[in-house]
Amino acid sequence: MKRTVGLTVNGRSETVEIEGHWTLVQLLREGLQMLGTEEGCGEGSCGSCTVLVDGEPVRSCLFLAVRTEGREVATVEGLATDGRLDPVQQAFVEHGAVQCGFCTPGFLMTTKALLRDHPAPTDDEIREYLSGNFCRCGGYTLIVAAVRDAAGGDPAGGAAAEG
Amino acid sequence: MNLKPFEYVEATSVQEAVEALSAYGDGARIIAGGTVVVPLMKMRMVQPEALVSLMAVDGLAEVRADGGVAIGALATHRAVSRSLLVRDRLPILATACGRVASPVIRSMGTLGGNLCYGESASDPPPALLVLGGSVRLRGPDGDRTVPLEALFVGFYETAIGPQEVLTQIEVDPQPPDARWRYLKWTPRAREDKPLVGLAALVEMEDGTCRRARLAVGGVADRPVVLEQASAALSGRELDDQAMADAAEAAAAEVEPVDDLQASAGYRRDMLRVWVGRTLRDIASEERP
Repeated sequence: MKRTVGLTVNGRSETVEIEGHWTLVQLLREGLQMLGTEEGCGEGSCGSCTVLVDGEPVRSCLFLAVRTEGREVATVEGLATDGRLDPVQQAFVEHGAVQCGFCTPGFLMTTKALLRDHPAPTDDEIREYLSGNFCRCGGYTLIVAAVRDAAGGDPAGGAAAEG
Repeated sequence: MNLKPFEYVEATSVQEAVEALSAYGDGARIIAGGTVVVPLMKMRMVQPEALVSLMAVDGLAEVRADGGVAIGALATHRAVSRSLLVRDRLPILATACGRVASPVIRSMGTLGGNLCYGESASDPPPALLVLGGSVRLRGPDGDRTVPLEALFVGFYETAIGPQEVLTQIEVDPQPPDARWRYLKWTPRAREDKPLVGLAALVEMEDGTCRRARLAVGGVADRPVVLEQASAALSGRELDDQAMADAAEAAAAEVEPVDDLQASAGYRRDMLRVWVGRTLRDIASEERP
């Protein structure tokens, strides 16, 4: 059954016609033609489709599209501003933390949430926070290095951890 | 992998949710965080005609002091693991909830949903079983309370009726002086489900174990209290013999499942090993 939801995506108000049984990744990819968010496993295990809803990281393959009414969704397309990469994106580029790139949008969005919770994360905290994101190229070492660097390069990357 | 069409009912009160469940007969399912029911629907293991969402019900995610701690069914694993009240009064539960899957799943999945799923290989249930307490259910005939020990009745099977909604988990306070561990053993990756998820609560008095309570997830078809292992410790010093007896008792009393992840024998052996190691860890704890 078709229905309409109104939400904000990367700061822009959108009104989208969706099917009632769509997940958020379908709303983004099919409803808005925003192809930056990738669906990997489709069952919440791989982390590729991670986006932020009202600032909280969610698996967009598990999150029902109808629940986005009135909410603010942030995706990889919103990270760069005025043609400048976000510090997290810049660090991934500089460290070569991208191989095939399929998992990268999910890693970037999860990293944004990580840096909000842990502005200066230890390697253990990085590995723990990203443990639900899979890179099947096996590029984890470079990804951890990129995140470590992004944290240093973006000291204002989020509010202090709540504990 | 996409969902098949379903009706979506957004309840704004528990009563509304119960009425919606009744209206659909057995055709409706509750959805909260969606980390369980959505994958099950995608895998075509459940095909509800309707999903009844609890997410718009006010107040169901609250965590508050209530003798012990009353945790609203919609509190996420992340919220429970970070709640100062839970960390203070139920540290073993805070720790177990902090080990569920990975951080993003913890910020979506709810403790109530976790219990309704009735999965053995899950972190919060053994911690809840050693603490004790109950869950509150609302059904067409009103409220009832089920002790945590009576909640898990079989393989992915709980005492919750198809038209009942779990609203609150009421947990007894953890004895403040008790020694405790939540041990999660995963043979592969950190974010996996536990093959052995062992909760242990040991109260000592003058070098003797006054009361011990052990429970485990991931080994049997449901989360279980290790009654014999717990009894093997009480009234004894935590010496090598007592710990070995408890480990043997645990291995003897469980009925392990046998599946592709591990054989029944392997699960039994690993339970024996981890009960022993966890108790040695507890015994070596220095206390003033």
